[in-house]
Amino acid sequence: MTTRNTANQDETLKRHFNWHDYARLGHYLRPYTVRLVLVLGSILIGNVAVVLGPFLMKLAIDQAIPQRNLPQLGALGAVFFISLLIAWACFRYRIWAITAIGQNLLIDMRTDLFTNLQRLPFAYFDTRPHGKILIRVVNYINTLSDLLANGLVNLISDVISVGVTLAFMFAINWRLTLDSLGLIPLLIIWAYVVQKKQRTAFRELSNKQSNLNAYLHESIAGIKVTQGFAQEAAATANFDAIADDNRQAYMRAVKIQYALSPGVQNISTLTTALIYFIGIQQLGVVVSTGTLIAFIGYVNNFWNPVINIGNFYNSLITATTYLERIFETMDEQPTVRDADDAFDLPPVKGDVRFRNVCFQYEADGPLILDHVSFHARPGQTIALVGPTGAGKSTIINLLARFYNVTSGQLTIDNVDSQRVTLASLRSQVGVMQQDTFIFSGTIMDNIRYGRLDASDADVLRAAKVARADDFIQTLPAGYQTVVQEHGGSLSAGQRQLIAFARVLLADPRILILDEATAAIDTQTEALLQAGLAELLKGRTSFIVAHRLSTIRQADQILVIDHGQIVEAGRHAELMAQRGVYYELYDSQYRLLQATE
Amino acid sequence: MENPYRWIWQYARRSRWQIWLASGLIILNAVSVVVVPLIGGLLVDQVITQRHLERLVPLLVTMVGVTLLRTIMRYGYIMLWERVGQNALFDLRHDLFAKLQSLDYPFFTRVTNGDLMARLTGDTDAIRHFLCWVTYNTAECLLWFLTAIVVMARISWPLTVALVLVTPLIGWLTTRMSREAHQVFFNIRQSFARLNAMVEENISGNRVVRAFARESYEIHKFQQYNQDYRDQNMASAAVSRRYLPALDFLAACLAVIVLLFGSWLVIQRQMTLGDLVAFNGFLWLLNQPMRMSGWLINDIQRFSAATIKIKSLLEAQPTLTPAQSQSAPAIQGAVRFEHVDFAFPDAPAVPVLMDIDFAVQPGQTVGILGETGSGKTTLMNLIARFYDPTRGRVLVDGRDVRHWSEAALRNQITIVTQDLFLFSDSINDNINYGNPVATPAFIRRMATVADAHDFITALADGYDTVVGERGVGLSGGQKQRISLTRALVKNPRILILDDTTSALDMETEATIQRRLQAVTRHKTVFIIASRIASLRQADQILVLRHGRIVARGTHEQLIAQNGYYAETYRRQLGALTTTKGGRAHDHAEHG
Repeated sequence: MTTRNTANQDETLKRHFNWHDYARLGHYLRPYTVRLVLVLGSILIGNVAVVLGPFLMKLAIDQAIPQRNLPQLGALGAVFFISLLIAWACFRYRIWAITAIGQNLLIDMRTDLFTNLQRLPFAYFDTRPHGKILIRVVNYINTLSDLLANGLVNLISDVISVGVTLAFMFAINWRLTLDSLGLIPLLIIWAYVVQKKQRTAFRELSNKQSNLNAYLHESIAGIKVTQGFAQEAAATANFDAIADDNRQAYMRAVKIQYALSPGVQNISTLTTALIYFIGIQQLGVVVSTGTLIAFIGYVNNFWNPVINIGNFYNSLITATTYLERIFETMDEQPTVRDADDAFDLPPVKGDVRFRNVCFQYEADGPLILDHVSFHARPGQTIALVGPTGAGKSTIINLLARFYNVTSGQLTIDNVDSQRVTLASLRSQVGVMQQDTFIFSGTIMDNIRYGRLDASDADVLRAAKVARADDFIQTLPAGYQTVVQEHGGSLSAGQRQLIAFARVLLADPRILILDEATAAIDTQTEALLQAGLAELLKGRTSFIVAHRLSTIRQADQILVIDHGQIVEAGRHAELMAQRGVYYELYDSQYRLLQATE
Repeated sequence: MENPYRWIWQYARRSRWQIWLASGLIILNAVSVVVVPLIGGLLVDQVITQRHLERLVPLLVTMVGVTLLRTIMRYGYIMLWERVGQNALFDLRHDLFAKLQSLDYPFFTRVTNGDLMARLTGDTDAIRHFLCWVTYNTAECLLWFLTAIVVMARISWPLTVALVLVTPLIGWLTTRMSREAHQVFFNIRQSFARLNAMVEENISGNRVVRAFARESYEIHKFQQYNQDYRDQNMASAAVSRRYLPALDFLAACLAVIVLLFGSWLVIQRQMTLGDLVAFNGFLWLLNQPMRMSGWLINDIQRFSAATIKIKSLLEAQPTLTPAQSQSAPAIQGAVRFEHVDFAFPDAPAVPVLMDIDFAVQPGQTVGILGETGSGKTTLMNLIARFYDPTRGRVLVDGRDVRHWSEAALRNQITIVTQDLFLFSDSINDNINYGNPVATPAFIRRMATVADAHDFITALADGYDTVVGERGVGLSGGQKQRISLTRALVKNPRILILDDTTSALDMETEATIQRRLQAVTRHKTVFIIASRIASLRQADQILVLRHGRIVARGTHEQLIAQNGYYAETYRRQLGALTTTKGGRAHDHAEHG
């Protein structure tokens, strides 16, 4: 087994963010190129009003006021007003378009992430707390929308502003311009120092956030255990410790994050002071008073977008720590997946054959199945018997291809199951698992999960065969009763009956019942068996059960021990052999009789 | 509804020294915002125009010094506000989590896990943002606005009055926006909670999704939730689109007023040109807060919407009234049900238990047999007071459980539930969950009783093996044995085994039962099982059907009664007898 992660343990990062990932981000932006350009256009047009204001003011001061020209003043006001109206319209468009781009981007990324998650094997979910997966799909991605849509467009507009301002500055006085760029290296050094620390700090923070989410998720899911063991105070203390870690990491991160902008502001003021100093020294020689004052104005214009670019850079660094995790999950490769040349398994008759199948979780791990061979003919019922941990569930997991066989071959209707698509295979193999999972929703919808296009009548029929109908009818809202994840007020047996109905509705050619009736009482089970006998007809079915009474009618009984088939045959044959099966059977009999 | 600001103040007030200090810094900083432009003016007037070159360096040093001081102050109060926000967030999360721990079963059957998660993460984050960003930005805006009015009124009060006349219009717009934004943000929070819940279930239920090959269905469903979330965000954008550009426009119109009315005043000689230039220089102090107002309103409403669901969680009351007594005396283990009826709070018309009446002496073992859904688990939940009966009383040691403190009951009564939940932690930490001070020797001994020791030591890391959440990765039988060990290590007076060994083969089950008898001699034990072999040793067996006790007695008495119990016994035995020549049948008749 691979190492498992727990709620209070930071996850390791397989691969750090690199330049390639920016290209990958660009890929998500590509569908919105046209809209982004339009938004950019709207920003630039909107900015005209901003630039126009001081210019119109200058005209008023230089011409209209000294000449007492009221009509010109009115005209200036009108032009200004109209430009503001245009800015209004541009702003309206921008808010709408930016939100639309950002939200659609979110959908695209989330869907990619979620889709990959659907391909990942059990092992992925078994080896880490679910809260840590959840935070990636939901919370991390949320943080990106604003950055990618709004941030990018603003970045471009800021870069353009910087460029235009620089051009004006050079046009006015190239020497002063060079002087005013003298402190740029300081800025770059400062940004570099901050970003290095910031990246580490935010990586740490994202880990702590993930831990908090994991602990939270587990605490809510396991609330009954906590309350049952009266451990509420201990759980709260644990939570506080994790929340405090979170608080510390957050403070460390923002301390660094907010250090960038004061640095930039001080460098900007230093530059202004420098220009005053140099300018006033050379006043009258190279520089006129008007030029100096205008130049100081432009220096301010230059630094505002630079501060904005700095802030964008800041949030980009923050976002990369989340992006690392998102891309990591997107890149996670399932061990069991469709081969490149996989084809759909045609409707099968149900001939299942294991040929020398071996299985181990890891190359150097213990052999879980050791050269298992058997042949189930269409319509046969195969029972798997043996002690806990003998490998029964593994055989079943291989059948539904939750894992790939390590060596040997597993064929269904003489087609190697590794060559077909998973969806076509699993839609014909129905597994009723030990763990019953109920989705929040109505009982009707929970059963219908087995076959989405089933009519209400179909659902009812399946529920009747599964003997679930009786108790469902007694519920206040019947089939429309809303249940919560993990069942809520349903008993374990009732949940199994619902899960059973779900599998029956799926109407698979190959039916697998893995300890499907453990929590169901004997009488209900007996009734179930009657319905089941009808149902098993014409299907190949595999039954794992500890109660030997349920498997007596099987066409083949496979006795599994230590990953091997130690006995195989019909009930009567195995009893006659007086081997392992006979022993098992006899001991159960004696336990029940307790004659000793 | 209680005012959200007063509510959040309860959390923020604990950091009130930081708040005072931060407020002081904000005021200093806001007032000193006029310093740099003033120095600029001095440089022009004194150094350039009047050629006082000796003042150049001191003025520049002052400019740089003041900026340095201002950025330090601003950094200081941002950090202080972040600290205030984090402290409040910590306390709030603590309260929410502790609240969750105190809520009872009926509450958890009504909400999805994902919804609860969303409240403790996304919703609390909106509150954090309010505390550590919206607060000081609002304060800055207000202070700038006031500073601007004071400074500008000194330059020209008629022009200032003309500008301030726009303010009511802005006030009217922001009030309207506030109203509309509130509902929109609440819808976003709701949609987020649904999305969270959907993904959460998909992850928890990943085995079912795989088994039914429902991946594409899940993706489709996911997209619907995604689209809904987007639509709610677009609704918010629609509100923003209506108001933000309008506010921006009004703020920008101040410049038009200055241009027209200001110039007119200069022409009328009521104001000098220099004053107009200075006035114009301070204009941003006035219109920046106006521009920001819309954004701040958005953030404030996002906060206010988030408080609704958080407050409703904090105000949720457990349906069970807490006991008066807080002491936790030792329990002997006598249990008595007096004509108990029970129905779930969400379905009061459907009786689950009716007229349950029985008594158990300390140290006895009680077996319970019944159909699926006949009320066995509910019966046991009443003993540990996870629910209260709708009629009648449940007594432990002769005292109504409603009068026992919760701690006394939960510390001394342990239920091994059917719903097996293990934490994603090491097996050792899972086992000593209820008794963190248990010695390794005791843990080993109890693990041996539960037949778990052998398979645990066979794992690569033994007791230090980390198991997945809900115990995934272990077989059903392994999980059952670990959770049985966990209950035994807790060492309760009353032990309730709710179908604890159903996933084990009968031999293992028999071994466990035999060893259990040795360690539970002085405990009161309830065993719910569907296998007669698990029940037959009990001092007393109750047969439950449709919520009533239909028969009771020892194994032998019940067999003699020839009712449901005997029928179950014959079925289980009969299932094994076809090839054994009816031996069991003979025995049953003689028994």
